[in-house]
Amino acid sequence: MGEHSKSEWNLLLPVGLMIFFPVIRHLLEFDAMESAFLIVAVPLVIFPAILILGQLSKGEDWWKNQLKEGGIVALAGLAITLSLTVWLIIEFYMGNEKLSQFEDDAGVLSQGVIFDWIQFEIFDGATLLGTSTLSFGLWIDSVSLVVLFVAAFLCFLICWFAIGYMNTDPINEDRNHRFFAEFVLFSMGMFGMVLADSFLWLFIFWEIMGLCSYLLIGFYWEKPSAAAAAKKAFLTTRVGDVFLMVGLFMLYDLYHSLEFAVIFGDPTLGGAVHGVDLQWPLFFMFIGCVGKSAQFPLHVWLPDAMEGPTPVSALIHAATMVNAGLYLVARMFPLFSEPHFEGDLSDLAMLIAWIGGITACMAAFIAFVANDIKRVLAYSTMSQLAYIFTGLGAACWFANEGYHHLATVAFGASLFHLFNHAMAKGMLFMASGSVIHEMHHAHDHAHGHDDGDHHDFDPQDMRNMGGLASKMPVTSIAMMLGSMSIIGIPLIGGFWSKEGIVGQAWNVYAHGGEMILFPAILVLATAGMTGFYMSRMWFMTFAGKPKSDVVEHVHEDTQWIKTPLVVLSIVTAFSGFILACGNFVHWLAEPYHYEPFGELLAHPIDAILHELEHAFLPEENLLKIVGWTAILLSAGLGPFIAARMHGGRLADGEEATPLTNWLISYSGSVGHTDVGDLATGGFATALHNRLYIDDAYEWVISRTIMPLATICAWIDKNWVDGAIKGIESGSQSTSTWLRQFTTGRASDYLLMATVGMLVIVGILWGVA
Amino acid sequence: MNLGALFSSVNMASTLIPEWILLLGIVAIIIVPNLGKATFRLPVPGKAWRIPYFIGGKRFAFTSDPRLPSAIAAFTLFASFITALLSQMGEIGVTESCVAIRDGVARAGPEWCSDGSMILQIDAFSRLMGMIFTAALLLAVIANWDRLPATPHHRIALKTQRDEVVESRRLHRLLNNRRQVDFALLVLMVALGMSTVALSANLFMLFVGLELASMASYVLVSFNKETQIGPEAGVKYFIVGSVASAIGLYGISMLYIWNGDLSISSLRSSWADGPNGMATIGLGMMLVAFGFKVSAVPFHFATPDAYSGASGPVAGVLATASKAMGFVALMRVLIGITLADDGSEWTILIGVIAAITMTWGNLAALGSRNPKRMLAYSSVAHAGYILAGIAAIGALGPGEGSELIATAIIFHLAVLVTFKLGAFLVIALLECEGRGHELEHYHGLARRDPLIAISMMIFMLALAGVPPLAGFLSKLMMVSGIISSTVGDVAGSSLSETMDSLSWVFWLAILIFINSAISLFYYLRICVVMFYDETDRNLRLSRAPMIRIAIMFCTMGAIVFGFGILADVLASAAHDAALALFG
Repeated sequence: MGEHSKSEWNLLLPVGLMIFFPVIRHLLEFDAMESAFLIVAVPLVIFPAILILGQLSKGEDWWKNQLKEGGIVALAGLAITLSLTVWLIIEFYMGNEKLSQFEDDAGVLSQGVIFDWIQFEIFDGATLLGTSTLSFGLWIDSVSLVVLFVAAFLCFLICWFAIGYMNTDPINEDRNHRFFAEFVLFSMGMFGMVLADSFLWLFIFWEIMGLCSYLLIGFYWEKPSAAAAAKKAFLTTRVGDVFLMVGLFMLYDLYHSLEFAVIFGDPTLGGAVHGVDLQWPLFFMFIGCVGKSAQFPLHVWLPDAMEGPTPVSALIHAATMVNAGLYLVARMFPLFSEPHFEGDLSDLAMLIAWIGGITACMAAFIAFVANDIKRVLAYSTMSQLAYIFTGLGAACWFANEGYHHLATVAFGASLFHLFNHAMAKGMLFMASGSVIHEMHHAHDHAHGHDDGDHHDFDPQDMRNMGGLASKMPVTSIAMMLGSMSIIGIPLIGGFWSKEGIVGQAWNVYAHGGEMILFPAILVLATAGMTGFYMSRMWFMTFAGKPKSDVVEHVHEDTQWIKTPLVVLSIVTAFSGFILACGNFVHWLAEPYHYEPFGELLAHPIDAILHELEHAFLPEENLLKIVGWTAILLSAGLGPFIAARMHGGRLADGEEATPLTNWLISYSGSVGHTDVGDLATGGFATALHNRLYIDDAYEWVISRTIMPLATICAWIDKNWVDGAIKGIESGSQSTSTWLRQFTTGRASDYLLMATVGMLVIVGILWGVA
Repeated sequence: MNLGALFSSVNMASTLIPEWILLLGIVAIIIVPNLGKATFRLPVPGKAWRIPYFIGGKRFAFTSDPRLPSAIAAFTLFASFITALLSQMGEIGVTESCVAIRDGVARAGPEWCSDGSMILQIDAFSRLMGMIFTAALLLAVIANWDRLPATPHHRIALKTQRDEVVESRRLHRLLNNRRQVDFALLVLMVALGMSTVALSANLFMLFVGLELASMASYVLVSFNKETQIGPEAGVKYFIVGSVASAIGLYGISMLYIWNGDLSISSLRSSWADGPNGMATIGLGMMLVAFGFKVSAVPFHFATPDAYSGASGPVAGVLATASKAMGFVALMRVLIGITLADDGSEWTILIGVIAAITMTWGNLAALGSRNPKRMLAYSSVAHAGYILAGIAAIGALGPGEGSELIATAIIFHLAVLVTFKLGAFLVIALLECEGRGHELEHYHGLARRDPLIAISMMIFMLALAGVPPLAGFLSKLMMVSGIISSTVGDVAGSSLSETMDSLSWVFWLAILIFINSAISLFYYLRICVVMFYDETDRNLRLSRAPMIRIAIMFCTMGAIVFGFGILADVLASAAHDAALALFG
């Protein structure tokens, strides 16, 4: 079923040409800042274009084969946004003359007001206090630039991947334009959220993303499980969003504005706002973040969201949208670091860290037993996002307690981990997509095209895989590098940031935040657990003997799927090291105090040595102990156990590439342990059932909300509808009665007119 | 009156250019279609010497074309419209002028405007209303251009006849040009009568113009004399209308007895001196006559019959131009004479009539299955909205609020031409295939002809007052005018105090809201059946290019007058007209 896509590099020519878009803007004498709004506007225009064109030219050759059912259009639009983003970053980095007029002390560029949306007047009783305008503008600082770059880069690559992934599956035929349109709309939401200059617009784009997430999870709406997953994701995040909205209302009540410029310009509002006032608004907003970023206890939607097409999982549920919650917490950071609020918000910071710690550990446990390759990655996503929350919690705590330097380090490390995790996880999902895609095709190939029925075969189940390393060299390398980055193997990707987060969490303890002890222990343990479940996934998929006959027929797909993997492999392998040595962490928190890469370019050896020493031999003993424990657990113990349980040599005659062969040899050489009893024990059953959290929710809902809903439905049906129907039938019978007066006889009409005249004259006679 | 002065005076000519054009059109339409090869044979024995005198005999090819009268009428109306527009813009003629009778001679010029003997008054109001009338009639004439079937239910299947010769023969058989001449002539007479009403500054002139237009429109209603319902509707309309006119004339005579002069300015100054029973009752009787014209309850009963008996374009004219004429008369008389006296007796009376009219119209429309009757009742409801505006003007007295409401009324009368007439033209299109008088005939219209169905939907939504269409803007101006000028001066602090001190006019605005909500039901029902219901008739609609063109004009008007530059232009023109009305 379905043919493999061809390379078709020629189709990418228009996409490549889009890189000249910023050049043209530049020649027209616009600067990057003035062009930044196009990052939002271009996808907004492309979204309806794809939808309409797709609906009109469904099935036509040029649309299907030349434009890939809109994929090329979407990719071209995303190429524009990516090149604009890069241009923006370059100008921000260069800090050129023209931009500096927007600067203020905080290192923020904001392009005032782009358009006014709603204007209203504020009254106190009857007196007019003034007008308030809801306007849209851009707010660009290091935080938004990093998240914007992550989003733009991954949207571009995953769209590329999706063209190969979606267009070869016959069930998607003639509806891929819907996928690409929603994909582009989502990217619009993400870019808009990152660039928005007020919490209001942030919230609006946040909801657009939520909508697209719902639509894309339910892309295979004819599958009941996908439809249910879409609903679950939408409703669960809605719970968080309601709280976020309440939080925003409270914030508005305090500041009479939701604009960053007002709130961050003077968080105390001239002494009117105290730290205690902010506790509840920030708490409610944090619940919104918990829902969006799938943290305990609102995490239940994320694993089910894997029902969506794999590119969607890669983009929305791993790399970008789930970062929205983190982004919002990072946006609140200036409130925590306001000196006047010192100590008032540290409890909230601790709560953030606790939620992070609990989720990190819980998700890692569930990932131990998951057999669906995408679900392992989903739980891993939850766990890694939880790391970032822990780091942000630590950063906020430091900031609120006045340890400015440490706060900077923790904040930078958290955002750095966001970057590393997004790159690695986006790639891991694409690699898993590549595996699933090939398993699916291979199954169809092996079992004939005609039956079309593969209910008995799950292409996502790792128990059907094994030994794929020799069949899919690029995918296996990409998967290996991504897993290493997530695990935190020294020198690769996530190592640098994760080390920072774990270290700073313990550092909080050292500086008097005793409450952090529990999450600090949890994240340290989770480092080892990550090592286990990520290695387990890799070994189950790529090492050992094939576990089903389908594997025989697997071979790797074309460039559409491979190119993004290769690009991201390179990024994952080297970016962590380069950025860490380039002082990226400090630049993120305080862009105008640190010049990134300056030191690295001037004295490369010194900078690298300094960073290595900082990472492996920090001055404080606590950090030294914590750091090395983490390294040993994650890089040593976890992978070792995984290799013993699931590793093994490939079948005879199969040869993996040298880059992965060492790992397979290692797993084959450590021996084998059978843990059959453990896998069926009570705890494992609980893990298989996701610790019964979903069941608990269902139990509570079926006993509280469902009866209430039944009553409401009854009232609606009998009383409300009854009233409406009564009005309707009443009007109809009145109408019939009134129309009886139009008898059709002129004499009746005259009688009526005469009566009318007499009444008029009589009344006037009376008053006159 | 010296007829020579009428034609020779340059002032007179430049003052009344649009009306002259109408008059010339009437003359042309009498003469031109009768031109033929008539000859007079000289009584010389044995010789066949003939002197051609052209009137009568065998018609020339172009004069026997059944489309010629419509062409002449359309050209005349268009020229009249354009000249009115240009003179209003100050390009030709004069923008403000008057005609007065002095010493038995009609004199024209701005200097006569302050004179008591003024009979016609040219200002922004009369020009704008004249343009509304001619525009509506122009669209009706265009719609009748090449299809005035002998019976309304007779189908002319142009689309099946590709052969031009056969087609033109059919046309000649079905539509002889005499009949067309009659129609076009009547339309031009209606136009002249309406223009006179718009211009008149004297109750006598007003009555003459009103009757000229009414008489012609009675005949237009019963124009389809071969059908059962056409003449019946016309006769009913005529009987009720003539009684109403008689009552109105009686009222005018009472005013004459009271004042001795029928010019509006004189009546106004006398009214300001103090109330008089005879004058009040005279006004009340005139209210009956004008109430019939605008189809206010309880004088509206002939309206549904007349509309459903008349052909689509004629019904459209009755619902727009004729109704606007009634309102012009109403505003001239009630506002012009009694406004100086704030809170006259008639304001509450009109308010009550307005409330009853809009509610009655909407409720009756709710159950009508015949779209023409439905639109007739909806036109009754619209009359109620406008009457509410007039009542508000009366209650509020002169001022900014009243000007705003008058602007809204004039704007509404202007844009009504686009969507109300447009809806009737869609009905006319269906009448070409002998249908259109049942809701079932609209089933599946969207599948048969999407463009027409979308136009009809736009008309329906505009009638209901859905943004961003023209109907919304007019209703918004009206309601916001009423509410802002009643609530604006409320000083109470608590809600109950506020409610107590509200003017009763406020509740009229609320009633407009409620009635708009009710009206959505039957307007949307048409849209629903057009788009969702199945039909067993899968033929395309009649080709009828001229009706389609007229419908497209109306559609564009309903949209462009809803928002944007043209809406601003029209609104500011309506505002100028309102200012002129208040003097």
